[in-house]
Amino acid sequence: MDPFLTLGLARRYDLDEAELERRYRDLQRTLHPDRHIQAAPAERRMKLQKAVEVNEAYRTLRDAQRRAEALLAALSGEAGVPVVDPSEKADPELLMEMMELRESLSEAKASRDAAEVAKLSKRVTTDRDEARGRLTRAFAALPEPPPAEALVPIRAMISRLKYYQRFLDEVAVFEDEALS
Amino acid sequence: MALMQIHDPAASPRPVGIDLGTTHSLVAYVPLVGGATCVLDCDNEALVPSAVSYRADGGVIVGKEALKRLRDFPEDTIVSVKRFMGRGAGDAETKRLGSYRFAADAGPVVKFSVAGERTVTPVEVSAEILRELKHQAEDELGEVGGVVITVPAYFDDAQRQATKDAGRLAGLSVLRLLNEPTAAALAYGLDSKQNGTFAVYDLGGGTFDVTVLVLDDGVFQVRSTGGDSQLGGDDMDRALAEKVLQRMGVSDWRTASAQQVSIARTGARSIKHALTERDSVAADIELPDGSTVDFSITRAEFESLIQALVERTGLACRRALRDAGLRPDQLDGVILVGGATRVPLVRKYVEELFGRPPLTSIDPDQVVAIGAAIQADLLAGQNAREDVLLLDVLPLSLGVEAMGGVVEKILPRNTAVPAAAAQVFTTYADNQTGFTLHVVQGERELAADNRSLAHFILKGIPPMPAGLARLEVRFDVDVDGILKVSAREQTTGIEQRIDVKPSYGLSDSDIERMLLDAYDHAEADVSARALREQRTEADRVLGALQTALVSDAPLVLPEERPRIDAAMAALVAAMSGDDHRLIASRIEDLDHVSKPFAGRRMDRSIAQALAGRSVVDLERETATAKGIEPHLGPVKE
Repeated sequence: MDPFLTLGLARRYDLDEAELERRYRDLQRTLHPDRHIQAAPAERRMKLQKAVEVNEAYRTLRDAQRRAEALLAALSGEAGVPVVDPSEKADPELLMEMMELRESLSEAKASRDAAEVAKLSKRVTTDRDEARGRLTRAFAALPEPPPAEALVPIRAMISRLKYYQRFLDEVAVFEDEALS
Repeated sequence: MALMQIHDPAASPRPVGIDLGTTHSLVAYVPLVGGATCVLDCDNEALVPSAVSYRADGGVIVGKEALKRLRDFPEDTIVSVKRFMGRGAGDAETKRLGSYRFAADAGPVVKFSVAGERTVTPVEVSAEILRELKHQAEDELGEVGGVVITVPAYFDDAQRQATKDAGRLAGLSVLRLLNEPTAAALAYGLDSKQNGTFAVYDLGGGTFDVTVLVLDDGVFQVRSTGGDSQLGGDDMDRALAEKVLQRMGVSDWRTASAQQVSIARTGARSIKHALTERDSVAADIELPDGSTVDFSITRAEFESLIQALVERTGLACRRALRDAGLRPDQLDGVILVGGATRVPLVRKYVEELFGRPPLTSIDPDQVVAIGAAIQADLLAGQNAREDVLLLDVLPLSLGVEAMGGVVEKILPRNTAVPAAAAQVFTTYADNQTGFTLHVVQGERELAADNRSLAHFILKGIPPMPAGLARLEVRFDVDVDGILKVSAREQTTGIEQRIDVKPSYGLSDSDIERMLLDAYDHAEADVSARALREQRTEADRVLGALQTALVSDAPLVLPEERPRIDAAMAALVAAMSGDDHRLIASRIEDLDHVSKPFAGRRMDRSIAQALAGRSVVDLERETATAKGIEPHLGPVKE
């Protein structure tokens, strides 16, 4: 399911957030279950299903990582290449770096060292933001329609971002548990 | 006033909103003319204490009169039952400093042993409160229609399900469960006609919620929510009651008698109330033997007792802001809800936390019921207000237990509802023919630290090498925040679908039996009710379809029309009979033949929504429809 299509938005990575919000609310004004509580059962079911789809598309597009993956999937479809390339391997240098970072994180978590966790988190956040900047530029520079080979470096960038994101998700869980 | 009320027998049943609170409950409605209002009792009071007292002769007393019996019948008088909703018998928290006899036979559900040799569950106790509110509303309105019941935003699936069960058990037609902070925002938002981002800080008798939401031209969109479903004014009472007990000569509350506990808690509550206005209080506590001890305390001493409790709310607030991606200074206002926010320390704390004085213009005790009444009216009332819409979220992440006891999150917290998500799991052993699925809710890494919702088993998978079977688990969460789980093995197509009914929840047949057992429900009543419900549903379906056939006539295909007309006629014929099953099946038939037409109408409305309307149109519409002044967005310099 292409979330850009569901919300009627142009396929671009740096999307207009205000426009996203507006589309989302306009669609829910007509689809949300509260709007048709008095309607016939078939209509209720159909609109419920659509409302769920719109919520899912909205969740995807609001999240930078999920949005990148969804855009890549849509563009891959357009270029006629498989959405996921199973033969592709992550950059060994990145894998090494992430393994070391995760080890440091595990140690910091085990010793409840919040300052160290924050330091690691800051470093990865900086790396992620830089990588995201590169990805934004790469998406913007794609010709229309994108040739299959142009998507290869983009796929690598998204895979790199995914490692960063997983790391930061783990930090978020730790911070949550530290709060409570 | 009540005496002058004239009921129009032909008037349609009025939808109502119910705030089912820990310490007290209210029912409100939107009259044909004017704003939402709470139903008052014969003493002109809106608050009904959430107390239920069971008498030895089998009688049940609810509200003020029940509360009066608390002192002499502490074990038979249940207060704060909301704290037990959806909780297991093993939950330690449920038993702290209460005066109840818990039934020993137990099973997984908490049960109270009360007078008349009865055992009652929290759902049954709550149903008594709901029934009382229903009667009060009927005295004022005649017939009561659909009901919106509010729940703390932070209630988990089990607690929501229990609340809905209580509504059904009370014979109510539950339209929706509505989150309390969202209800409050609705009441405030429509009152102040202001757009912006707001935080709702709701500290009730037994639960704490914080919700961050955006109000934009009638759309109330929740961004994040957080809280603690076991924190409230009750805990302040308990902290103070422990001091009172000490003064009564009881050093350890665990050794206190039920009567001593109820005396201390009642005393603590009135001292807490008095300290809202005064800097110190001296009270005489009357002991069971008729003698008294004096107890005095300053506000500062009380505040040091509750400081840690109040600070616990700050964690949830900071997390909700972080989840919404906001700093406190980016908010346009903070709304205070719940009786416990009258405590001066709480107000001071909220003001410091958010850096601004909170909004308190609507009575914090009534604002939730008012919001619920407005929502009930929006859903089922006569005054259609098409421009107001509540978009809410899932409060706590949902997931399943994966290998190693860690949680695999399927739907994260703060996902907009209704929501669905699926995830594929595989076998880890060769020839594994079954999957056990453990569904949990919460934010912790380990399944054991989260709320366990259900276990279920998918059997009959043909033997395959490990990792080959593909089990797709699908979670569906409805607008009430209630979960359904289904699982399908993709290589064979074996499918199982379950409603998540926690092991300490009630099954549909339990509810049916309880309804039949209830003193005011004979079997005839139940089928009469089913008939009435089906007729109402048929009316609704026919009305909606007739309107659509006129307004969207071009979307009906010529060959479709005779089939639709015939199905409508068949339904009308069935309605004059008294077979509710026949009516239900005619509704289904009509639904089937009109489905393609409904699909075309939906596609067109989506196309219209996506095409967008001009800003001027939107502003004119919203301004006229709900009396909100057109507003202009911030001007960019």
